[in-house]
Amino acid sequence: MKKRMNWLLGAALLIAALCSAGAACAQVTLEVMNPRGEIPPPPTIGINPRVPDLAGKKIVLVDNGKFGANNFLDVLAAMLKQKYPTATIVMYPKPAAQTITDMPKWYPTVAQQGDLFIFGVGD
Amino acid sequence: MPGVYLTTSEFLDDAKSAVKDRGMPSLRMVALPADTYYRSRASQDELKPIATAAFAAIVDDLVRPLTAEEAHPSQVQKQLESANIKVTGKDYQDAYQKVNDLFLDSHWADGLPIVPPTPKLVKAMLAATTRSPQEVIGQVAPKQGTATIEKIAVNSVMAGAKPEYFPVILAAMDGFIDKHYDLTHVQASTGSFTPLVIVSGPLGKELGFNSGIGMLGHGFRANSTVGRALRMSLLNIGQTWPQVNDMALTGRLEAYTFFTFAEDNEKSPWEPYAVSLGYKPEDSTVTVATSGNPVVLGGGAVAPWTGQGVIDQMIARISGGGGFGWFHSQTFVIVLIPDCAVDLASAGYTRKSLQAYMFEKSRLPFEKLSPATVKLTQEAIADGRISPEHAQMFKDNLKPGGRVPIVQSPDDFHIFVAGGSPGYDLLFSYPGPNWAHQTKKVTGATLTKAGR
Repeated sequence: MKKRMNWLLGAALLIAALCSAGAACAQVTLEVMNPRGEIPPPPTIGINPRVPDLAGKKIVLVDNGKFGANNFLDVLAAMLKQKYPTATIVMYPKPAAQTITDMPKWYPTVAQQGDLFIFGVGD
Repeated sequence: MPGVYLTTSEFLDDAKSAVKDRGMPSLRMVALPADTYYRSRASQDELKPIATAAFAAIVDDLVRPLTAEEAHPSQVQKQLESANIKVTGKDYQDAYQKVNDLFLDSHWADGLPIVPPTPKLVKAMLAATTRSPQEVIGQVAPKQGTATIEKIAVNSVMAGAKPEYFPVILAAMDGFIDKHYDLTHVQASTGSFTPLVIVSGPLGKELGFNSGIGMLGHGFRANSTVGRALRMSLLNIGQTWPQVNDMALTGRLEAYTFFTFAEDNEKSPWEPYAVSLGYKPEDSTVTVATSGNPVVLGGGAVAPWTGQGVIDQMIARISGGGGFGWFHSQTFVIVLIPDCAVDLASAGYTRKSLQAYMFEKSRLPFEKLSPATVKLTQEAIADGRISPEHAQMFKDNLKPGGRVPIVQSPDDFHIFVAGGSPGYDLLFSYPGPNWAHQTKKVTGATLTKAGR
């Protein structure tokens, strides 16, 4: 019995010595796989050049149909008209997505309404 | 055309994420303060201070010259997500903890601890299907991440799914990724919708899905981990995160596992749902659909009920709101407990005749429709969203004295049988256009008798 105890004590001391000396005796490395989907990046495009001044411009306010957006854009329209009396304000509501078959074809029609656009209010 | 996009402060990160996804990272935006905008937006007077405060920034965004980066933004490089990750700990417990910390802190999990997706476990998952690990089944909204069989396997391991469940998970993903399933809306909308995942056919029983008491609850590994594997796959492959590009305002009612259960084909008096769609009795299918909070009907263990009464209450709920004018795209998922279905079958109903009854009884008198709903319906007829085969029926009824169907076809009432005895019957609906309903056959299973 005593002989066996001595053997176990010796083994424990040896393991402790190896580990304290920095040996990787107990370290575990887990290799795991990446769960994320790869995203094909779309071609990047810049935004259009700005205008030097809003005076005389045709400004298109696009109401996205969210509750209250029309109210905000009406207030904004009045403020624009007051500060830029020569500007023309065009209200151009976006149809609800479920009421139009091909929404991507609708967006380019905004550009036909004026010189600048303000789109809101997104949530 | 130069422009500026208005959003609110709570949605600014979402908007920035969306413009990057669409390749226009320099789009100029002005964020209105969410804490005052939403409670002021009914009143122009109350909105004036908000508009006044934002006015200079809006004008500035329209006149301030572009920077070089705004005019010609750098091309975003593809971020590779293929390399394995090695995590070392002082022992297994430490390494396991570090993997979980890494995944949870990186937003690669649903907020609960995961099973580390080691290559060995992923290989075992992949062995449950004959489908190739490299097969691309489609792109996952909103960021259009590429869904391969292998990526779905990684997420399924993380969720704790058994390999036997994997073909069911793949069939559900086939449904979510189908071009007719409106996944962007489901993944990102403020509406906080929850997907339904319903197994029909022999695999439900073989895999041990709970179809009885507590079928939407916890405790059953098939229900819980199939749903969680789908939650994790959509999150990681589509790369969504709450408050960034998943804007479900309340979060989802079954956020971690979705509404995942199987039809009880043994207690149902009718053919399996899959068979009603034309599949063979030996086939198993997975239906994915979308819902808000279900309406709970029937008496449960506390009140008397009849099958006819339950159905009539459902019809009253379906048609009570006067409709949203989205008849061209609405569908409903109806889950009847077996006792209710047996009661209805005893009264002579087949699934088909019950669908026809619901279709007829839920029609709305023309006089109850708002002018806007009439206009929307007319437009849907004109542009084909109400299919030509159903258009005449709508035309005939869009006039005084007419009774307008609330869906295009009786088949838009999808009737399943599941639940306890006693139990409650459930009506799932989606308060909006529902393109989000797909059924896919389970194929390629190697570890089960069904689904091969």
